[in-house]
Amino acid sequence: MINPFSLLSGPEDLGRGLIFGLGAAIVIALFLAVPLYLSDFAAYNVSYYLLNIPMALGLCLLWGYCGVLSFGQVAYFGIAGYAYGIIAGNLSGHSWGPILGSLGGLAIAAIVAAVFGYFVFFARVQMWILPILTLVLTLLLETFLGQTAGYQWRVGSVQLGGYNGMTGIPAFQIDDFVFSGYSFFYLAFGLALFCYFACRMLVNSRHGKVMLAIREDAVRTEMLGYDIRMRQLLVFVLAALLAALSGLLYVQWGNYITPSQVGLLSAALPVIWVAVGGREKLLAVVIGTYALNWLNYQLSSSGNQYALVIIGALLVVVMLFFPRGLVVTLAGMVGRASARSEASTDRGHRSSPA
Amino acid sequence: MTEAAILSIDRVRKHFGGVVATDNVSLDVAAGDLQCIIGPNGAGKSTLFALVCGMHELDGGRIVFKGKDITWMLPSHRVREGLGLTFQTNRVFGNLSVQQNLEIPLAAIRGERGVEAENRYRVALKRFDLDLKDQTQAANIPHHKRQWLEIAMALAGGPDLLLLDEPTAGMAPEETGNTAAVLRDLNRTGLTILVVEHDMAFVRGVARRVTVMHQGRVFADGTIDEVTARRDVHDIYLGRR
Repeated sequence: MINPFSLLSGPEDLGRGLIFGLGAAIVIALFLAVPLYLSDFAAYNVSYYLLNIPMALGLCLLWGYCGVLSFGQVAYFGIAGYAYGIIAGNLSGHSWGPILGSLGGLAIAAIVAAVFGYFVFFARVQMWILPILTLVLTLLLETFLGQTAGYQWRVGSVQLGGYNGMTGIPAFQIDDFVFSGYSFFYLAFGLALFCYFACRMLVNSRHGKVMLAIREDAVRTEMLGYDIRMRQLLVFVLAALLAALSGLLYVQWGNYITPSQVGLLSAALPVIWVAVGGREKLLAVVIGTYALNWLNYQLSSSGNQYALVIIGALLVVVMLFFPRGLVVTLAGMVGRASARSEASTDRGHRSSPA
Repeated sequence: MTEAAILSIDRVRKHFGGVVATDNVSLDVAAGDLQCIIGPNGAGKSTLFALVCGMHELDGGRIVFKGKDITWMLPSHRVREGLGLTFQTNRVFGNLSVQQNLEIPLAAIRGERGVEAENRYRVALKRFDLDLKDQTQAANIPHHKRQWLEIAMALAGGPDLLLLDEPTAGMAPEETGNTAAVLRDLNRTGLTILVVEHDMAFVRGVARRVTVMHQGRVFADGTIDEVTARRDVHDIYLGRR
Protein backbone atom coordinates (compact mmCIF):
# COMPACT_ATOMS: atom_id res chain seq x y z
CA MET A 1 0.00 0.00 0.00
CA ILE A 2 1.39 3.40 -0.94
CA ASN A 3 1.47 5.91 1.88
CA PRO A 4 0.87 9.46 0.59
CA PHE A 5 2.65 10.99 3.59
CA SER A 6 5.83 9.06 3.01
CA LEU A 7 5.71 10.17 -0.64
CA LEU A 8 5.30 13.80 0.43
CA SER A 9 8.19 13.64 2.88
CA GLY A 10 10.43 11.58 0.59
CA PRO A 11 13.99 12.56 -0.20
CA GLU A 12 13.70 13.79 -3.81
CA ASP A 13 12.57 17.33 -3.05
CA LEU A 14 13.70 20.05 -0.64
CA GLY A 15 12.27 20.30 2.85
CA ARG A 16 11.53 17.68 5.45
CA GLY A 17 10.86 17.54 9.13
CA LEU A 18 8.89 19.54 11.64
CA ILE A 19 10.46 22.98 11.14
CA PHE A 20 9.95 22.81 7.39
CA GLY A 21 6.38 21.62 7.86
CA LEU A 22 5.63 24.52 10.20
CA GLY A 23 7.22 27.00 7.79
CA ALA A 24 5.19 25.60 4.90
CA ALA A 25 2.01 25.81 6.98
CA ILE A 26 2.72 29.46 7.79
CA VAL A 27 3.33 30.32 4.12
CA ILE A 28 0.13 28.54 3.07
CA ALA A 29 -1.79 30.34 5.85
CA LEU A 30 -0.39 33.70 4.66
CA PHE A 31 -1.65 32.98 1.16
CA LEU A 32 -5.05 31.86 2.42
CA ALA A 33 -5.33 35.06 4.48
CA VAL A 34 -4.62 37.32 1.49
CA PRO A 35 -8.09 39.01 1.62
CA LEU A 36 -7.15 40.29 5.10
CA TYR A 37 -4.25 42.39 3.89
CA LEU A 38 -4.47 42.72 0.10
CA SER A 39 -7.10 44.43 -2.02
CA ASP A 40 -9.14 42.52 -4.56
CA PHE A 41 -6.98 43.99 -7.33
CA ALA A 42 -3.70 43.17 -5.59
CA ALA A 43 -4.83 39.60 -5.04
CA TYR A 44 -5.64 39.38 -8.72
CA ASN A 45 -2.05 40.39 -9.48
CA VAL A 46 -0.71 37.77 -7.10
CA SER A 47 -2.70 35.22 -9.12
CA TYR A 48 -0.52 36.17 -12.07
CA TYR A 49 2.67 35.16 -10.24
CA LEU A 50 1.01 31.90 -9.23
CA LEU A 51 -0.45 30.86 -12.55
CA ASN A 52 2.90 30.08 -14.15
CA ILE A 53 3.86 27.64 -11.40
CA PRO A 54 2.24 24.55 -13.00
CA MET A 55 4.13 25.14 -16.28
CA ALA A 56 7.40 25.57 -14.38
CA LEU A 57 6.74 22.40 -12.37
CA GLY A 58 6.19 20.49 -15.60
CA LEU A 59 9.48 21.73 -17.03
CA CYS A 60 11.18 20.90 -13.74
CA LEU A 61 9.96 17.29 -13.97
CA LEU A 62 10.94 17.04 -17.60
CA TRP A 63 14.31 18.77 -17.45
CA GLY A 64 15.48 18.61 -13.84
CA TYR A 65 14.28 15.11 -12.99
CA CYS A 66 14.14 13.38 -16.39
CA GLY A 67 16.97 15.17 -18.20
CA VAL A 68 14.89 16.23 -21.21
CA LEU A 69 15.14 19.98 -21.89
CA SER A 70 12.12 21.38 -23.70
CA PHE A 71 12.30 24.91 -25.00
CA GLY A 72 8.72 24.79 -26.18
CA GLN A 73 6.52 24.39 -23.11
CA VAL A 74 4.75 27.61 -24.08
CA ALA A 75 3.41 25.83 -27.18
CA TYR A 76 1.10 23.79 -24.92
CA PHE A 77 0.38 26.91 -22.86
CA GLY A 78 -0.73 28.64 -26.06
CA ILE A 79 -2.61 25.69 -27.52
CA ALA A 80 -4.67 25.36 -24.34
CA GLY A 81 -5.23 29.12 -24.14
CA TYR A 82 -6.42 29.42 -27.76
CA ALA A 83 -8.50 26.23 -27.54
CA TYR A 84 -10.18 27.52 -24.40
CA GLY A 85 -10.85 30.86 -26.11
CA ILE A 86 -12.42 29.14 -29.11
CA ILE A 87 -14.56 26.66 -27.17
CA ALA A 88 -15.64 28.89 -24.29
CA GLY A 89 -16.07 31.84 -26.67
CA ASN A 90 -18.41 29.88 -28.91
CA LEU A 91 -20.34 28.67 -25.88
CA SER A 92 -20.56 32.11 -24.29
CA GLY A 93 -23.81 32.44 -22.42
CA HIS A 94 -23.71 28.77 -21.49
CA SER A 95 -22.59 28.40 -17.89
CA TRP A 96 -20.72 25.15 -18.68
CA GLY A 97 -18.74 26.70 -21.56
CA PRO A 98 -15.63 27.53 -19.51
CA ILE A 99 -15.44 24.03 -18.03
CA LEU A 100 -15.81 22.42 -21.45
CA GLY A 101 -13.27 24.89 -22.80
CA SER A 102 -10.82 23.99 -20.04
CA LEU A 103 -11.20 20.26 -20.60
CA GLY A 104 -10.91 20.78 -24.36
CA GLY A 105 -7.77 22.88 -23.95
CA LEU A 106 -6.10 20.26 -21.74
CA ALA A 107 -7.10 17.43 -24.08
CA ILE A 108 -5.86 19.13 -27.26
CA ALA A 109 -2.54 20.08 -25.64
CA ALA A 110 -2.09 16.50 -24.39
CA ILE A 111 -2.84 15.04 -27.83
CA VAL A 112 -0.38 17.36 -29.57
CA ALA A 113 2.28 16.53 -26.97
CA ALA A 114 1.60 12.80 -27.27
CA VAL A 115 1.91 12.79 -31.07
CA PHE A 116 5.00 15.03 -31.10
CA GLY A 117 6.56 13.13 -28.20
CA TYR A 118 5.82 9.77 -29.79
CA PHE A 119 7.87 10.61 -32.87
CA VAL A 120 10.66 12.15 -30.83
CA PHE A 121 11.07 9.49 -28.15
CA PHE A 122 10.17 6.36 -30.10
CA ALA A 123 12.55 7.41 -32.89
CA ARG A 124 15.17 7.70 -30.12
CA VAL A 125 16.10 11.22 -31.16
CA GLN A 126 19.24 12.28 -29.32
CA MET A 127 18.39 14.41 -26.33
CA TRP A 128 20.51 17.42 -27.33
CA ILE A 129 18.27 17.92 -30.39
CA LEU A 130 15.12 18.14 -28.31
CA PRO A 131 15.42 21.80 -27.22
CA ILE A 132 15.68 22.74 -30.90
CA LEU A 133 12.75 20.58 -32.01
CA THR A 134 10.48 21.85 -29.25
CA LEU A 135 11.48 25.45 -29.95
CA VAL A 136 10.74 24.98 -33.65
CA LEU A 137 7.27 23.65 -32.81
CA THR A 138 6.39 26.70 -30.74
CA LEU A 139 7.84 29.14 -33.30
CA LEU A 140 5.81 27.44 -36.04
CA LEU A 141 2.75 27.92 -33.89
CA GLU A 142 3.61 31.59 -33.39
CA THR A 143 4.10 32.11 -37.13
CA PHE A 144 0.84 30.38 -37.93
CA LEU A 145 -1.15 32.32 -35.36
CA GLY A 146 0.49 35.57 -36.45
CA GLN A 147 -0.99 35.35 -39.94
CA THR A 148 -4.56 34.74 -38.75
CA ALA A 149 -5.51 38.42 -38.88
CA GLY A 150 -8.18 38.25 -41.56
CA TYR A 151 -11.89 37.80 -41.00
CA GLN A 152 -11.64 34.38 -42.67
CA TRP A 153 -9.60 33.17 -39.66
CA ARG A 154 -12.40 32.55 -37.27
CA VAL A 155 -13.76 29.44 -35.63
CA GLY A 156 -17.49 29.77 -35.18
CA SER A 157 -17.95 33.23 -33.74
CA VAL A 158 -14.41 33.58 -32.38
CA GLN A 159 -11.70 35.51 -34.27
CA LEU A 160 -8.12 34.26 -33.98
CA GLY A 161 -6.98 37.83 -34.51
CA GLY A 162 -3.44 37.55 -35.90
CA TYR A 163 -0.77 39.42 -33.96
CA ASN A 164 -3.41 41.42 -32.12
CA GLY A 165 -4.47 38.15 -30.56
CA MET A 166 -7.72 36.82 -29.27
CA THR A 167 -9.66 39.11 -26.99
CA GLY A 168 -12.77 38.88 -24.89
CA ILE A 169 -12.01 35.35 -23.71
CA PRO A 170 -14.59 34.38 -21.05
CA ALA A 171 -13.52 34.14 -17.41
CA PHE A 172 -13.69 30.78 -15.69
CA GLN A 173 -16.98 29.93 -14.11
CA ILE A 174 -18.67 26.97 -12.50
CA ASP A 175 -22.39 27.07 -12.95
CA ASP A 176 -23.19 30.75 -12.21
CA PHE A 177 -20.12 31.47 -10.12
CA VAL A 178 -17.56 33.53 -12.06
CA PHE A 179 -13.99 33.49 -10.77
CA SER A 180 -12.44 36.94 -10.42
CA GLY A 181 -10.54 38.91 -7.80
CA TYR A 182 -10.18 36.91 -4.61
CA SER A 183 -11.98 33.84 -5.94
CA PHE A 184 -9.66 33.63 -8.95
CA PHE A 185 -6.72 34.07 -6.63
CA TYR A 186 -7.90 31.07 -4.59
CA LEU A 187 -8.38 29.07 -7.79
CA ALA A 188 -4.83 29.81 -8.98
CA PHE A 189 -3.36 29.21 -5.53
CA GLY A 190 -5.26 25.96 -5.03
CA LEU A 191 -4.20 24.62 -8.41
CA ALA A 192 -0.55 25.62 -7.92
CA LEU A 193 -0.53 23.96 -4.50
CA PHE A 194 -2.24 20.84 -5.82
CA CYS A 195 0.20 20.55 -8.74
CA TYR A 196 3.16 21.00 -6.43
CA PHE A 197 2.05 18.29 -3.99
CA ALA A 198 1.16 15.93 -6.83
CA CYS A 199 4.57 16.43 -8.46
CA ARG A 200 6.29 15.98 -5.10
CA MET A 201 4.53 12.66 -4.61
CA LEU A 202 5.41 11.64 -8.14
CA VAL A 203 9.15 12.26 -7.78
CA ASN A 204 9.25 10.28 -4.53
CA SER A 205 7.39 7.35 -6.07
CA ARG A 206 8.92 4.40 -7.91
CA HIS A 207 8.34 6.16 -11.21
CA GLY A 208 10.21 9.19 -9.86
CA LYS A 209 13.27 7.10 -9.14
CA VAL A 210 13.22 5.77 -12.69
CA MET A 211 13.02 9.36 -13.98
CA LEU A 212 16.21 10.16 -12.08
CA ALA A 213 17.85 7.06 -13.50
CA ILE A 214 16.93 8.10 -17.05
CA ARG A 215 18.42 11.54 -16.41
CA GLU A 216 21.65 10.00 -15.15
CA ASP A 217 22.10 7.29 -17.79
CA ALA A 218 19.30 6.37 -20.16
CA VAL A 219 21.03 3.30 -21.63
CA ARG A 220 21.86 1.89 -18.21
CA THR A 221 18.23 2.43 -17.17
CA GLU A 222 16.97 0.59 -20.23
CA MET A 223 19.31 -2.29 -19.36
CA LEU A 224 17.61 -2.57 -15.99
CA GLY A 225 14.39 -3.44 -17.77
CA TYR A 226 12.64 -0.11 -18.31
CA ASP A 227 11.07 1.02 -21.57
CA ILE A 228 12.62 4.47 -21.37
CA ARG A 229 10.81 5.71 -24.50
CA MET A 230 7.44 5.23 -22.84
CA ARG A 231 8.62 6.75 -19.55
CA GLN A 232 9.97 9.84 -21.29
CA LEU A 233 6.80 10.19 -23.35
CA LEU A 234 4.60 10.02 -20.23
CA VAL A 235 6.61 12.72 -18.47
CA PHE A 236 6.56 14.83 -21.64
CA VAL A 237 2.76 14.64 -21.85
CA LEU A 238 2.42 15.38 -18.14
CA ALA A 239 4.64 18.45 -18.53
CA ALA A 240 2.50 19.57 -21.48
CA LEU A 241 -0.64 19.17 -19.39
CA LEU A 242 0.85 21.32 -16.66
CA ALA A 243 1.84 23.97 -19.21
CA ALA A 244 -1.68 23.80 -20.61
CA LEU A 245 -3.10 24.39 -17.14
CA SER A 246 -1.00 27.54 -16.86
CA GLY A 247 -2.23 28.60 -20.30
CA LEU A 248 -5.84 28.16 -19.20
CA LEU A 249 -5.29 30.17 -16.05
CA TYR A 250 -3.54 32.87 -18.06
CA VAL A 251 -6.41 33.44 -20.49
CA GLN A 252 -8.96 33.20 -17.68
CA TRP A 253 -6.96 35.81 -15.78
CA GLY A 254 -6.32 38.34 -18.53
CA ASN A 255 -9.14 37.42 -20.98
CA TYR A 256 -6.80 37.66 -23.95
CA ILE A 257 -3.89 35.88 -25.60
CA THR A 258 -1.54 36.88 -28.42
CA PRO A 259 0.90 34.86 -30.55
CA SER A 260 3.78 36.46 -28.64
CA GLN A 261 2.79 34.17 -25.74
CA VAL A 262 4.20 31.28 -27.80
CA GLY A 263 7.09 33.31 -29.25
CA LEU A 264 10.81 33.12 -28.62
CA LEU A 265 10.86 35.47 -25.64
CA SER A 266 8.01 33.71 -23.86
CA ALA A 267 9.58 30.32 -24.64
CA ALA A 268 12.79 31.32 -22.88
CA LEU A 269 11.07 32.44 -19.68
CA PRO A 270 10.09 29.04 -18.21
CA VAL A 271 13.64 27.80 -18.79
CA ILE A 272 14.94 30.86 -16.89
CA TRP A 273 12.51 30.41 -13.97
CA VAL A 274 13.44 26.76 -13.61
CA ALA A 275 17.19 27.32 -13.99
CA VAL A 276 17.37 30.26 -11.58
CA GLY A 277 15.48 28.45 -8.82
CA GLY A 278 17.28 25.16 -9.39
CA ARG A 279 15.95 22.59 -11.81
CA GLU A 280 16.72 19.57 -9.62
CA LYS A 281 14.19 20.44 -6.91
CA LEU A 282 10.49 21.18 -7.29
CA LEU A 283 10.26 23.55 -4.34
CA ALA A 284 13.19 25.58 -5.65
CA VAL A 285 11.37 25.94 -8.96
CA VAL A 286 8.16 27.04 -7.25
CA ILE A 287 10.00 29.72 -5.27
CA GLY A 288 12.07 30.82 -8.27
CA THR A 289 9.04 31.05 -10.55
CA TYR A 290 7.02 33.05 -8.06
CA ALA A 291 9.90 35.42 -7.30
CA LEU A 292 10.86 36.04 -10.93
CA ASN A 293 7.28 36.59 -12.01
CA TRP A 294 6.87 39.03 -9.16
CA LEU A 295 10.11 40.80 -10.10
CA ASN A 296 9.18 40.94 -13.77
CA TYR A 297 5.76 42.33 -12.96
CA GLN A 298 7.16 44.97 -10.59
CA LEU A 299 9.79 46.06 -13.11
CA SER A 300 7.52 46.22 -16.12
CA SER A 301 4.54 47.76 -14.33
CA SER A 302 6.77 50.53 -12.99
CA GLY A 303 7.58 51.36 -16.60
CA ASN A 304 11.03 49.81 -16.65
CA GLN A 305 11.83 48.92 -20.24
CA TYR A 306 14.73 46.77 -19.17
CA ALA A 307 12.70 44.18 -17.20
CA LEU A 308 13.67 41.32 -19.50
CA VAL A 309 17.27 42.49 -19.71
CA ILE A 310 17.47 42.39 -15.92
CA ILE A 311 15.86 38.92 -15.80
CA GLY A 312 18.28 37.72 -18.48
CA ALA A 313 21.27 39.19 -16.63
CA LEU A 314 20.07 37.43 -13.49
CA LEU A 315 20.09 34.14 -15.39
CA VAL A 316 23.68 34.70 -16.55
CA VAL A 317 24.84 35.57 -13.03
CA VAL A 318 23.09 32.59 -11.49
CA MET A 319 24.42 30.19 -14.11
CA LEU A 320 27.96 31.49 -13.56
CA PHE A 321 28.02 31.50 -9.77
CA PHE A 322 25.23 29.08 -8.73
CA PRO A 323 24.99 26.58 -11.58
CA ARG A 324 22.60 24.37 -9.58
CA GLY A 325 20.25 27.33 -9.04
CA LEU A 326 19.88 29.92 -6.30
CA VAL A 327 17.34 28.17 -4.08
CA VAL A 328 19.00 24.75 -4.36
CA THR A 329 22.39 26.26 -3.45
CA LEU A 330 20.96 28.18 -0.49
CA ALA A 331 19.07 25.12 0.73
CA GLY A 332 22.29 23.12 0.54
CA MET A 333 24.10 25.73 2.65
CA VAL A 334 21.32 25.79 5.25
CA GLY A 335 21.25 21.99 5.33
CA ARG A 336 25.01 21.77 5.91
CA ALA A 337 24.91 24.49 8.57
CA SER A 338 22.12 22.77 10.51
CA ALA A 339 23.92 19.42 10.22
CA ARG A 340 27.04 21.08 11.67
CA SER A 341 25.17 22.68 14.57
CA GLU A 342 23.43 19.38 15.32
CA ALA A 343 26.80 17.65 15.34
CA SER A 344 28.28 20.28 17.66
CA THR A 345 25.36 20.14 20.14
CA ASP A 346 25.74 16.38 20.00
CA ARG A 347 29.39 16.70 21.02
CA GLY A 348 28.45 19.23 23.69
CA HIS A 349 25.98 16.80 25.24
CA ARG A 350 28.49 14.01 25.29
CA SER A 351 31.30 16.06 26.81
CA SER A 352 29.12 17.57 29.55
CA PRO A 353 29.34 15.64 32.82
CA ALA A 354 26.37 13.43 33.56
CA MET B 1 21.41 -25.75 -30.30
CA THR B 2 21.86 -28.24 -27.52
CA GLU B 3 18.87 -29.28 -25.44
CA ALA B 4 19.86 -27.56 -22.20
CA ALA B 5 21.14 -24.28 -23.68
CA ILE B 6 19.69 -21.23 -21.95
CA LEU B 7 21.30 -18.90 -24.50
CA SER B 8 21.97 -19.89 -28.06
CA ILE B 9 23.87 -17.56 -30.36
CA ASP B 10 23.54 -18.73 -33.92
CA ARG B 11 25.83 -17.49 -36.74
CA VAL B 12 25.70 -13.92 -35.52
CA ARG B 13 27.26 -11.29 -37.77
CA LYS B 14 27.93 -7.62 -37.11
CA HIS B 15 30.13 -5.15 -38.92
CA PHE B 16 30.84 -1.50 -38.31
CA GLY B 17 31.58 0.10 -41.67
CA GLY B 18 34.25 -2.11 -43.18
CA VAL B 19 35.26 -3.71 -39.88
CA VAL B 20 33.81 -7.12 -39.20
CA ALA B 21 33.31 -7.25 -35.42
CA THR B 22 31.68 -10.67 -35.17
CA ASP B 23 31.84 -13.06 -38.09
CA ASN B 24 29.30 -15.90 -37.91
CA VAL B 25 29.76 -16.47 -34.21
CA SER B 26 27.88 -19.46 -32.84
CA LEU B 27 27.89 -20.15 -29.14
CA ASP B 28 25.67 -22.03 -26.71
CA VAL B 29 25.53 -21.35 -23.00
CA ALA B 30 24.23 -24.33 -21.04
CA ALA B 31 21.77 -23.66 -18.23
CA GLY B 32 23.61 -23.59 -14.90
CA ASP B 33 27.01 -23.04 -16.48
CA LEU B 34 29.63 -20.49 -15.56
CA GLN B 35 31.24 -19.70 -18.87
CA CYS B 36 33.96 -17.21 -19.73
CA ILE B 37 34.70 -15.59 -23.05
CA ILE B 38 38.32 -14.58 -23.43
CA GLY B 39 40.36 -13.20 -26.27
CA PRO B 40 42.67 -10.31 -27.12
CA ASN B 41 41.46 -6.75 -27.62
CA GLY B 42 39.30 -6.39 -30.71
CA ALA B 43 38.34 -10.06 -30.74
CA GLY B 44 34.64 -9.15 -30.80
CA LYS B 45 33.82 -10.08 -27.20
CA SER B 46 32.18 -6.83 -26.24
CA THR B 47 30.35 -6.60 -29.57
CA LEU B 48 28.92 -10.05 -28.98
CA PHE B 49 27.90 -8.91 -25.53
CA ALA B 50 26.18 -5.79 -26.92
CA LEU B 51 24.34 -7.92 -29.49
CA VAL B 52 23.02 -10.28 -26.83
CA CYS B 53 21.68 -7.47 -24.65
CA GLY B 54 20.32 -5.57 -27.66
CA MET B 55 22.46 -2.45 -27.63
CA HIS B 56 23.38 -3.11 -31.26
CA GLU B 57 21.22 -4.60 -33.98
CA LEU B 58 22.80 -7.54 -35.71
CA ASP B 59 23.42 -7.88 -39.46
CA GLY B 60 22.65 -11.59 -39.56
CA GLY B 61 22.04 -14.61 -37.43
CA ARG B 62 19.78 -15.37 -34.51
CA ILE B 63 19.82 -15.19 -30.73
CA VAL B 64 17.59 -17.52 -28.71
CA PHE B 65 17.15 -17.07 -24.95
CA LYS B 66 15.19 -19.60 -22.89
CA GLY B 67 13.72 -21.01 -26.08
CA LYS B 68 12.49 -17.62 -27.26
CA ASP B 69 13.89 -15.78 -30.28
CA ILE B 70 15.09 -12.43 -28.88
CA THR B 71 16.98 -11.29 -31.98
CA TRP B 72 14.73 -8.25 -32.48
CA MET B 73 13.43 -7.82 -28.98
CA LEU B 74 13.77 -4.46 -27.19
CA PRO B 75 16.67 -4.39 -24.69
CA SER B 76 14.32 -3.66 -21.80
CA HIS B 77 12.16 -6.66 -22.72
CA ARG B 78 15.22 -8.91 -22.82
CA VAL B 79 15.98 -7.83 -19.28
CA ARG B 80 12.42 -8.60 -18.25
CA GLU B 81 12.78 -12.01 -19.86
CA GLY B 82 15.56 -12.72 -17.38
CA LEU B 83 18.79 -11.19 -18.63
CA GLY B 84 20.88 -9.23 -16.13
CA LEU B 85 24.02 -7.43 -17.15
CA THR B 86 26.85 -5.12 -16.18
CA PHE B 87 28.91 -2.99 -18.53
CA GLN B 88 32.60 -3.02 -19.31
CA THR B 89 32.98 0.54 -18.05
CA ASN B 90 31.18 0.81 -14.76
CA ARG B 91 27.78 2.45 -15.22
CA VAL B 92 26.25 2.83 -11.81
CA PHE B 93 24.35 6.11 -11.37
CA GLY B 94 27.25 8.12 -9.97
CA ASN B 95 25.28 11.19 -8.89
CA LEU B 96 22.76 9.12 -6.97
CA SER B 97 23.19 7.44 -3.60
CA VAL B 98 23.97 3.76 -3.18
CA GLN B 99 20.46 3.36 -1.80
CA GLN B 100 18.91 4.96 -4.88
CA ASN B 101 21.07 2.79 -7.14
CA LEU B 102 19.76 -0.31 -5.41
CA GLU B 103 16.14 0.89 -5.42
CA ILE B 104 15.99 1.77 -9.11
CA PRO B 105 16.18 -1.79 -10.51
CA LEU B 106 13.66 -2.99 -7.92
CA ALA B 107 10.92 -0.83 -9.40
CA ALA B 108 11.21 -2.74 -12.69
CA ILE B 109 9.96 -5.96 -11.16
CA ARG B 110 6.27 -6.51 -11.21
CA GLY B 111 5.30 -8.40 -8.10
CA GLU B 112 7.77 -10.44 -6.10
CA ARG B 113 11.04 -12.08 -7.01
CA GLY B 114 11.23 -15.82 -6.68
CA VAL B 115 12.66 -17.20 -3.45
CA GLU B 116 15.86 -18.22 -5.19
CA ALA B 117 16.38 -14.83 -6.82
CA GLU B 118 15.70 -13.16 -3.50
CA ASN B 119 18.31 -15.32 -1.76
CA ARG B 120 20.90 -14.64 -4.45
CA TYR B 121 20.31 -10.92 -4.14
CA ARG B 122 20.62 -10.99 -0.33
CA VAL B 123 23.78 -13.08 -0.51
CA ALA B 124 25.34 -10.71 -3.02
CA LEU B 125 24.51 -7.64 -0.91
CA LYS B 126 26.09 -9.26 2.13
CA ARG B 127 29.22 -10.62 0.48
CA PHE B 128 29.76 -7.40 -1.48
CA ASP B 129 29.36 -5.42 1.74
CA LEU B 130 26.54 -3.25 0.35
CA ASP B 131 24.03 -1.50 2.59
CA LEU B 132 20.50 -0.91 1.29
CA LYS B 133 20.31 2.32 3.32
CA ASP B 134 23.73 3.70 2.32
CA GLN B 135 23.33 7.41 1.46
CA THR B 136 26.85 7.80 0.03
CA GLN B 137 26.97 9.10 -3.52
CA ALA B 138 27.86 6.14 -5.71
CA ALA B 139 30.60 8.16 -7.42
CA ASN B 140 32.34 8.46 -4.05
CA ILE B 141 32.59 4.79 -3.10
CA PRO B 142 35.75 2.81 -3.96
CA HIS B 143 36.06 1.52 -7.51
CA HIS B 144 35.71 -2.16 -6.64
CA LYS B 145 32.56 -1.44 -4.66
CA ARG B 146 31.07 0.35 -7.63
CA GLN B 147 31.74 -2.79 -9.67
CA TRP B 148 30.06 -4.90 -6.99
CA LEU B 149 27.17 -2.46 -6.76
CA GLU B 150 26.55 -2.88 -10.48
CA ILE B 151 26.49 -6.67 -10.14
CA ALA B 152 24.04 -6.35 -7.24
CA MET B 153 21.84 -4.08 -9.36
CA ALA B 154 21.82 -6.69 -12.12
CA LEU B 155 20.84 -9.36 -9.57
CA ALA B 156 18.02 -7.19 -8.20
CA GLY B 157 15.92 -8.03 -11.24
CA GLY B 158 16.16 -11.75 -10.45
CA PRO B 159 17.85 -12.76 -13.72
CA ASP B 160 18.22 -16.32 -15.05
CA LEU B 161 21.35 -15.39 -16.97
CA LEU B 162 23.92 -12.92 -15.66
CA LEU B 163 26.10 -11.29 -18.33
CA LEU B 164 29.21 -9.60 -16.96
CA ASP B 165 31.62 -7.60 -19.11
CA GLU B 166 35.01 -7.51 -17.36
CA PRO B 167 33.63 -7.48 -13.80
CA THR B 168 37.06 -7.38 -12.17
CA ALA B 169 38.62 -4.64 -14.31
CA GLY B 170 40.75 -2.41 -12.09
CA MET B 171 40.33 -4.53 -8.96
CA ALA B 172 43.08 -5.49 -6.51
CA PRO B 173 43.83 -9.25 -6.25
CA GLU B 174 41.86 -9.84 -3.03
CA GLU B 175 38.84 -7.95 -4.46
CA THR B 176 39.08 -10.06 -7.61
CA GLY B 177 39.23 -13.11 -5.38
CA ASN B 178 36.07 -12.10 -3.52
CA THR B 179 34.28 -11.42 -6.81
CA ALA B 180 35.26 -14.86 -8.08
CA ALA B 181 34.12 -16.55 -4.85
CA VAL B 182 30.73 -14.81 -4.90
CA LEU B 183 30.17 -15.63 -8.57
CA ARG B 184 31.07 -19.29 -7.96
CA ASP B 185 28.60 -19.47 -5.08
CA LEU B 186 25.87 -17.76 -7.09
CA ASN B 187 26.50 -20.25 -9.87
CA ARG B 188 26.16 -23.14 -7.39
CA THR B 189 22.60 -22.01 -6.65
CA GLY B 190 21.80 -22.61 -10.32
CA LEU B 191 22.34 -19.14 -11.77
CA THR B 192 23.86 -19.20 -15.25
CA ILE B 193 26.71 -16.73 -15.64
CA LEU B 194 28.52 -15.62 -18.79
CA VAL B 195 31.62 -13.50 -18.22
CA VAL B 196 33.78 -11.59 -20.69
CA GLU B 197 37.15 -11.28 -19.02
CA HIS B 198 40.81 -10.46 -19.57
CA ASP B 199 42.20 -11.55 -16.24
CA MET B 200 43.36 -15.14 -16.78
CA ALA B 201 43.83 -15.79 -13.06
CA PHE B 202 40.18 -14.89 -12.51
CA VAL B 203 39.06 -17.04 -15.44
CA ARG B 204 41.07 -19.96 -14.12
CA GLY B 205 39.43 -19.50 -10.73
CA VAL B 206 35.81 -19.46 -11.87
CA ALA B 207 35.23 -20.78 -15.37
CA ARG B 208 33.74 -24.17 -15.92
CA ARG B 209 33.91 -23.59 -19.62
CA VAL B 210 35.98 -21.17 -21.68
CA THR B 211 35.41 -19.81 -25.16
CA VAL B 212 38.30 -18.10 -26.91
CA MET B 213 37.43 -15.45 -29.48
CA HIS B 214 39.83 -14.13 -32.06
CA GLN B 215 39.25 -11.71 -34.93
CA GLY B 216 35.48 -11.90 -34.63
CA ARG B 217 35.31 -15.71 -34.55
CA VAL B 218 35.14 -18.47 -31.98
CA PHE B 219 38.67 -19.81 -31.98
CA ALA B 220 38.57 -22.46 -29.28
CA ASP B 221 36.10 -23.82 -26.79
CA GLY B 222 36.38 -26.21 -23.84
CA THR B 223 37.43 -26.50 -20.21
CA ILE B 224 40.07 -24.10 -18.95
CA ASP B 225 42.73 -26.85 -19.06
CA GLU B 226 41.82 -27.92 -22.58
CA VAL B 227 41.94 -24.38 -23.85
CA THR B 228 45.14 -23.27 -22.11
CA ALA B 229 46.91 -26.45 -23.22
CA ARG B 230 46.53 -25.40 -26.82
CA ARG B 231 49.63 -23.83 -28.32
CA ASP B 232 47.69 -21.66 -30.78
CA VAL B 233 45.71 -20.05 -27.94
CA HIS B 234 48.98 -18.99 -26.32
CA ASP B 235 50.10 -17.61 -29.64
CA ILE B 236 47.00 -15.43 -29.90
CA TYR B 237 47.54 -14.01 -26.46
CA LEU B 238 51.19 -13.33 -27.13
CA GLY B 239 50.28 -11.72 -30.43
CA ARG B 240 52.01 -14.33 -32.60
CA ARG B 241 48.99 -14.83 -34.78
